[in-house]
Amino acid sequence: MDKFSIREEMGGEVVVIEAPARLDASVASDFRAKMGEFVDKGKNKIVVNLAKTEFMDSSGLGALVSRIATSRANKGDIRLASPTAHTLKLLEITHLNKIFKIFDDVNSAIESFKQE
Amino acid sequence: MREGTFNDIVKNNIPRSDKFVDMSRFHYLEPDFDRPIYKVPSEYKEKIMEKLSFLYGLNEAKNWYNEVERLMKVYHAYKTPQMILWEKEFDPAQRFTEEDVILITYGDLIQSKKTLPLETLAKFCRKYLRNAINTLHILPFFPYSSDRGFAITDFEEVDPRLGRWENIEDLKSDFKLMFDGVFNHVSSKSRWFQEFRNGNPDYKNFFSVFSTKDAISEDHLRLIVRPRTSDLLTEFSTLNGRRWVWTTFSPDQVDLNYKNPKVLMRVIDIMLTYVRRGADIIRLDAVTYLWTELGTECVHLKQTHMIIKLFRNILDAVAPHVALITETNVPHEENISYFGNGNDEAQMVYNFALPPLVLHAFQTGNSTTLTKWAATLKKVSDTATYFNFLDSHDGIGLNAVRGILSKEEIEMMCLRAIEHGGFISYKTEGDGTISPYEINITWYSAMNREDAGESDDFQVKRFLASRSIALAMLGVPGIYLHSLFGSKNDAEAVLEEKQTRSINRMVIDEENLISALENPDTTTHKVAKGFGEMIAKRIKEKAFHPHADQKILNISDKLFALIRSSVDKDEHILCITNVANKEETIDITPEVTGIKTNSWYDILSGKTIFTNAGTLSLHLQPYDVLWLKVKTNYPIVSY
Repeated sequence: MDKFSIREEMGGEVVVIEAPARLDASVASDFRAKMGEFVDKGKNKIVVNLAKTEFMDSSGLGALVSRIATSRANKGDIRLASPTAHTLKLLEITHLNKIFKIFDDVNSAIESFKQE
Repeated sequence: MREGTFNDIVKNNIPRSDKFVDMSRFHYLEPDFDRPIYKVPSEYKEKIMEKLSFLYGLNEAKNWYNEVERLMKVYHAYKTPQMILWEKEFDPAQRFTEEDVILITYGDLIQSKKTLPLETLAKFCRKYLRNAINTLHILPFFPYSSDRGFAITDFEEVDPRLGRWENIEDLKSDFKLMFDGVFNHVSSKSRWFQEFRNGNPDYKNFFSVFSTKDAISEDHLRLIVRPRTSDLLTEFSTLNGRRWVWTTFSPDQVDLNYKNPKVLMRVIDIMLTYVRRGADIIRLDAVTYLWTELGTECVHLKQTHMIIKLFRNILDAVAPHVALITETNVPHEENISYFGNGNDEAQMVYNFALPPLVLHAFQTGNSTTLTKWAATLKKVSDTATYFNFLDSHDGIGLNAVRGILSKEEIEMMCLRAIEHGGFISYKTEGDGTISPYEINITWYSAMNREDAGESDDFQVKRFLASRSIALAMLGVPGIYLHSLFGSKNDAEAVLEEKQTRSINRMVIDEENLISALENPDTTTHKVAKGFGEMIAKRIKEKAFHPHADQKILNISDKLFALIRSSVDKDEHILCITNVANKEETIDITPEVTGIKTNSWYDILSGKTIFTNAGTLSLHLQPYDVLWLKVKTNYPIVSY
């Protein structure tokens, strides 16, 4: 059974992954592996729901970006939804807020793929 | 036993100390005014007057020339007879040789609980690096308020947290030294800036000051090239009210106003102080931005070039062994403009396009763009050359490859680096949009990702293959300390210090470092050993002299290949690096190399490879590196 809640939208075209409350070294490698698994299968449009993520460290950030180039090179993207203030701050410090498309909620993130 | 450390590997190959002059005895601590005072040769007086006249007009130049001459005379009075004698034999064409390898480090990157950081650095470098590295670039070691040393509060003191001037002089007895001339700006906490805020008339025009925030028109602002996203003007309170001051890099780094000749005089004084304190090379930090004129881009202005040429004239006259190196993270063509005519400006220029192009080649497994660009590099002159670095305390600059790589290629290079745990720093363009300025990542992590499932040995091989290119190419190689030991990203420091550049600036505990170096199973040991072996070979070969010819070979999109030929044309080295994670088989004919020979000797592996009627048949594994040497008594031929 998956450690992370995962669902597919748009007929399986978009994958939504729920990030855990703590995205740190204890789960980052599993999260990274899960992202890799989807991208390797050709599912390159991914939404990460960060609504529940109250804490993230550098390994968590590393997991978020671990397939960003590969997904975009394959006409996909990894998009973030509902980041908490803590997560947003980390994204700003690392300038990753300029890399990721960030949405207020999951539906808007999914919708953004529909419009392409 | 320190198996495989730099000194162990190199000491059996070349006794550097036999050639080394103890330059720590080149200057007195007090000037000697009892001996005849220095007279500026008319040739130099003319050149200096020419520069001052260009900058300030003839009348002002006449006044300020006397001050320049005074500073030169005072400096000269510090020189010992030993130095004056040695200088007579100094040959600018041999200033840099194949033996030069420059280590870039902060004064406190290696720390110990027992000694001050500069003492620790000296002890470590003597014990482990001395035979491989002959020049230390110690990043700004002066008191500062921010930007890891680049917001200097006092140009003439050593930061007491690092050590004292005696520690610098101590290093000088075994290494050539490169000092930073951070002459574009000072700290907002410096005495100079405080005196300005205090309304001291001596400092009235030391900075570019405006009375309102909107004093610079939108049209002018759009033109000004910015390396950061921060505001150009920063507001400060002064005795005379609120003022807005030009701050190119950050609110804490206040640009000096070189339109005021007093500023130039103070900086010349500081530069000569650095020379008598032991500088052999002065790195002109962010020199692009030195002179500003509203209505221009405020970069690379003629006045900026003229100031560098003036520095060169002064040094050529009183300290000819001291070289200038310009640090200008700008498009390649503009970058190399700091060589001047090859003999009148910087003796070395940071080869800013090299790191991103090597990174691009290894990311894509394709050397085409690197090969095409490298073919444009020619010997600059008998006194100037490139500084071939792949990494430094800053990131991998991207400005130099604008126009060489497409916007999409740069974007994908950034994304791949992010996948490897790196970050991107941005700058603001004239139209208000932002674009990538540099990639912040350690070179080891840029080459390798931790979750790739590859063996440590394979990743070390890829890393060393990338480094081989900078060691082989025309110029002087520079190595950042963290690369010497294969450091990986320190992303946690980025979050703690809220600074993406912190990813490559971690402090290393001396005991831990030595322990890792001595353990053959560690990445640190493997990288240091491999690096040391390559350096040991490089510094013995006259074909790697910075003025030795270079011919780039376009033989395969997986391979980067070049031939270096010694100045006397006796020796040639064919350097081939496989940048791809794929095998490659290739036949290289004499028509391609210009050399007919029965065999080539690989100086890295010690193996001889025989040709078939002159044709060299090679089968390279992923990331293989070959340095194939041949001795001939004729120059290479173009068929």
